[in-house]
Amino acid sequence: MSDVALGSHVGGHRLTVSRRWRRAGLVVAGWVAFLGFWTFASHNLVNPFILPTPATVAEEMADIVTSGELFEHFQWSLMKTLAGFALAVAIGLPIGFLMGRSRWWRAFFHMPVTVAGNIPGITYAVMALVIFGIALEGPILAVALISMPYIAINVAAGLDGIDRGLEKMSHVFRRSGRQIARHVLVPTVIPFVFAGVRLSFALAWKVEAITEVFGSSNGVGYMIRQSYDRFSVAGILAWMFFFVFFILLMERFVLQPAEKRLFRWRPKEATA
Amino acid sequence: MTTHVVAPRTWPLRFAASDAGAQTASVLVGLVLWQLLGMGVERIPVPSEVLSFFWEELTSGVLFAAFYNTLDGFTIGLAIALVVGIALGIAIGLSDLVRAFCNDIVLVGLAVPGVIWALLAILWYGFSWKAPVAAVALTATPFIAVNVAQGVKATSRDLIRMSRSFGVPMHKRIRHLVLPSVMDYVFAGFRFAVIMGWNAVLLAEWFGGRDGVGYQTRTFYDSNDFTGFVSWVVFFIVFIVLLDRLVLERVARRTFRWRAQPAEGGGH
Repeated sequence: MSDVALGSHVGGHRLTVSRRWRRAGLVVAGWVAFLGFWTFASHNLVNPFILPTPATVAEEMADIVTSGELFEHFQWSLMKTLAGFALAVAIGLPIGFLMGRSRWWRAFFHMPVTVAGNIPGITYAVMALVIFGIALEGPILAVALISMPYIAINVAAGLDGIDRGLEKMSHVFRRSGRQIARHVLVPTVIPFVFAGVRLSFALAWKVEAITEVFGSSNGVGYMIRQSYDRFSVAGILAWMFFFVFFILLMERFVLQPAEKRLFRWRPKEATA
Repeated sequence: MTTHVVAPRTWPLRFAASDAGAQTASVLVGLVLWQLLGMGVERIPVPSEVLSFFWEELTSGVLFAAFYNTLDGFTIGLAIALVVGIALGIAIGLSDLVRAFCNDIVLVGLAVPGVIWALLAILWYGFSWKAPVAAVALTATPFIAVNVAQGVKATSRDLIRMSRSFGVPMHKRIRHLVLPSVMDYVFAGFRFAVIMGWNAVLLAEWFGGRDGVGYQTRTFYDSNDFTGFVSWVVFFIVFIVLLDRLVLERVARRTFRWRAQPAEGGGH
């Protein structure tokens, strides 16, 4: 099975050189067609207030960059998101630990954790609004609540898959509980904490923005709200693109490489 | 070592140690925490207040009317998302050309938060019924498309190749080979789309609705009535949790009971 996959991969490699150019050309063509249709639509199908042209949105984006707003508000949002993740790890790690080590605690936390991970983001935004009003803590709490279940579930799964033999052997060789925790449990669990953060990153970043739309005095969500209050579709679209680029860049250049590094020790899966 | 006297495991003890006991304990602890929070924080009502408020809204008919209005837009939006998402997903999964054309745009669509679609939909359609529908459809479509595309890619290459060499026409290939094998991916995507769509419809109603659950919640928030506000939040959470746990999960289990293992669908 893996031979076949390997063979086709090697064979495919020579092909992909010319194919890659074709693909890249198609992707560019896709974007050109998209932007072309968008321009056409905003000139001919609807009025430019409803759908500003790509050029207008690009101008708006340039304004946001040069005025320094981009840096300022992304900094705020990012800081709140990171603080939220820190809180999520602080709550999710012990819960995941209990869930991974004991059947009773697993049953105890199963429902709250799955429910917390599956309810819509607006819930956390309004909860933050009730508890903190318009304050920095709101988005932090929202991020913590939405990503905590992912961290807990991943840690529990990680502990589940821990090498029981290794643990038993450590006992046989009279390693102390602390040594086992330090050299067996912690190294196993850390990558899974990260996996939880990575899985929930896009979701947390969105909930952070929703919370800021509801009530905040800075951050990306706050700027989206400002654009909405000015009835500026161009403003919303401009911030939307920054928002999306940020997620895609984080995924590609930070989270995926980091995940690969942390899970290096794992045998490669045999999927093509 | 001290000798432990092992107590005969009577019913209450056995129950407390069982999974059901743990679940019961979890619910009880949750209620107690809520009660304490409600007594400590002035703006949060205690469970009994929410319950009596629920009864009030139920008997006056407000609850039913609001959910009816919201579900109206919600189901139309989801239906649109389902049709467009499945078509788009199959096209992306089957054709390299379509994939190169649309993949990036769908990925961008995945990353756009529901709140942006909701705000845009309101600016586009004003305070009409179309705004929540558009918000739900725009939010949910990429999730379904991505899942379906994944399912198409997971369809057995050998079967596709074989049917191609035997000259099975395209529409039959889709009908008899692709569709059955993508059904569980469609379902996984749909379940996620339901949650995302519920978020979007509430947001659209909160910012620009004239009726519905989101609008009701907003009205109580604006009039500083925190008992009403928190109660409505509880209503819409309970609704989506019940829908997910009691309906969607059961349907998934029923639909795929012929499988040895339930499929773990790709999330977002």
